[in-house]
Amino acid sequence: MLLAKTIAARLILVTVLCTALVFALVLGVVDYRSQAIVEAEAAQSARHLAQASVYRVEAVLGAVTKTTEGLARTLESGEIGDQELRTLLRRSVESNPEIFGAAAAFEPAELGGPERRYAPYYFRSGDKISSMQLDETENYPLHDWYQIPRELGRAQWSEPYYDEGGSKTLMASLSVPFYSGSGEQRRIRGIVTADIALDWLTKTVDAIKVLDTGYAFLLSRNGTVITHPDAARMLNETIFSVAEARDDPAMRELGRRMIRGESGFAPYLTFKEVKSRLYYAPIPSTGWTLAIVFPEAELFADVRTLTLTVTAMGIAGLLLLAGITLRIARSLTRPLGELAAATAAISEGRFDVRLPSGNAQDEVGALSRAFRAMTIALREHIRRLVETTSAKERIEGELRVAHDIQMSILPKMLPLLPQRAEFDLHAAMVTAKEVGGDFYDFFEIDDNHLCLVIADVAGKGVPAALFMAVTKTLLKANAKAGRSAAEILGKVNDEIARDNEQSMFVTVFCGILNLKSGELVYTNAGHNPPVLMRRGAAPEWLPGKPQLVVGAMPAIGYCSSSIVLERGDRLMLYTDGVTEAVDLDGTFYGEQRLLQDVAHTSGSVRDDVAALITAVESFAAGTEPADDITVMLVEFRGPGLE
Amino acid sequence: MNIQFRDSAGVTVVAVAGKLDALTAADYETTMKALLADGKTRCVVDFSELTYISSAGLRVLLAAAKSTKAAGGETRFAGVTGNVLAVIEMTGFNSILSLHDSVDAALGAM
Repeated sequence: MLLAKTIAARLILVTVLCTALVFALVLGVVDYRSQAIVEAEAAQSARHLAQASVYRVEAVLGAVTKTTEGLARTLESGEIGDQELRTLLRRSVESNPEIFGAAAAFEPAELGGPERRYAPYYFRSGDKISSMQLDETENYPLHDWYQIPRELGRAQWSEPYYDEGGSKTLMASLSVPFYSGSGEQRRIRGIVTADIALDWLTKTVDAIKVLDTGYAFLLSRNGTVITHPDAARMLNETIFSVAEARDDPAMRELGRRMIRGESGFAPYLTFKEVKSRLYYAPIPSTGWTLAIVFPEAELFADVRTLTLTVTAMGIAGLLLLAGITLRIARSLTRPLGELAAATAAISEGRFDVRLPSGNAQDEVGALSRAFRAMTIALREHIRRLVETTSAKERIEGELRVAHDIQMSILPKMLPLLPQRAEFDLHAAMVTAKEVGGDFYDFFEIDDNHLCLVIADVAGKGVPAALFMAVTKTLLKANAKAGRSAAEILGKVNDEIARDNEQSMFVTVFCGILNLKSGELVYTNAGHNPPVLMRRGAAPEWLPGKPQLVVGAMPAIGYCSSSIVLERGDRLMLYTDGVTEAVDLDGTFYGEQRLLQDVAHTSGSVRDDVAALITAVESFAAGTEPADDITVMLVEFRGPGLE
Repeated sequence: MNIQFRDSAGVTVVAVAGKLDALTAADYETTMKALLADGKTRCVVDFSELTYISSAGLRVLLAAAKSTKAAGGETRFAGVTGNVLAVIEMTGFNSILSLHDSVDAALGAM
């Protein structure tokens, strides 16, 4: 089943259905009106035709009536002898070709005695006029043609009848009564009759031809068929007998109207049951009815042809309309279909798909252009997203690189240096997300000297990490036996300060510990002051004047300080990540808190480093560490007992 | 951080308020470079409203002072107190920067 799923199908269905409906309506109205017009015209021409025929029949019948009435009046005017009567009758027949025969039948009582009858009859027999006495052949006073006008007291046409006697033709008789006296004395004297042959009438009516097979017929006062193209029906059938046989009340009603002398136009089914229209009109003098039959098929043939032609044209037009609609709908929906396909392709990530051209100035074109703009915007958006993502990845990658550099330059804690009994050392670092630039180092310059370094490079990220690597390398390269910390830092400073366009610098604490004597020679180049923890005493700042950071200016003359560590004394080195850690209120961890916190520690160097870092981290809990937190703790144990 | 300028007898007084750290160091550097480009090489930087300075801040401080000096100018610092002073002293920058108690004192020394 073809369901109207596509726009094209729906458009065609609606358009064609509506047009077909309107067309059918118009066609129906035109057909109906055409039929009505044709019917009206047919009725009009039928009326004219019938009137003309009626006049012709009336003319003949009128002449006969006039002659017969004249005869009757003559007989009333006075005594007329037998011979004179016969001459009158003969002359009437002779001079009126329509009259077949004429008789004067006298009232029996009128002639003087009972049973006295007299009825001379003159009639045509071949070319001659013959006569006979009706009273000799029949009991005429009992016949209808005598009885009915006598009782009615006026002229009366008989029902047509077939003359079985001399003429053997269809006949009808006009009977006119004549009287004697006047007023009270008026007495019926007899009936004058004139017979007319109806073969001329048959011919007249038969001559009426309507369309191809239309015809006319004549009905008597009683509805009997007088003339009909089918001769077998003549006198044998009445309109009522046919209505009876068909059980057709409408036809019976039609018959009643006819014999009442009405005229009109009505549907009619012929004896052969052909659907027709019937026009009927009375012939007043006889009370007969002339009926003209129009077969419907012929009456409406032109209308039918017209309707068929228009219908054919309409169907052709509808097909054309459907075709054009289909074309338009396709042209409308094709870009939509292409857009749908393009959308599907784009949803799969194929942005290079070809979009339907948006040249059309209609809504589809607008949609197409909007879609194209959207695709371009989407593509641009995605490109930007990719760029942003890759930029973010690059930054994260750089941070990772910086972190890797930082981690790779720190000395590995495990295994520690070749185990030395003279000291214990531990260091730890918690790195900030952005590399903060902290680093530490410790190495033996010779068998008796340990170099301790903690530093913080200005800046963050990859530049800081690289600068850190350079500084560490320079420090290690310059830490030669016999050099003081001040000499080492002076040389490193000269190296860095030269060509230092970025003004990078580093804070460094560098100390050289004599593992035998416990003497520590150190220089603090702008770094946080270390904490000295004499065994059994409160922590204190390592004494020493702050000096300029390394790298800021060339040719700085650093100076060294020195102290002597006793067995069990500790030195804690750290970076500003410790003292500048902030809590949620923005308060710095600070140097006083540092001194307090390290005063309570008394475990291994490893434990105490971890404890300090934990203390700082819990102080700064809930904040993002802004800088690296680095702690190094060294304990002097002194040379072993030898 | 907030930076404001005023001119005092041919010397640009740059008042820096707030924190000078890794986040704001670039702003300071840009500002000082712009001043240098305008030929304003004689500056007094007023740190009396500065609450914090980090090593990154020190770096741009140093870089700007060096550039000014290379251009034949001079930068002096005034109102350096508290935290900021502690950091500058700890890192030894007080030995290479000209520090004054007040802007007027700095202007007077120009």
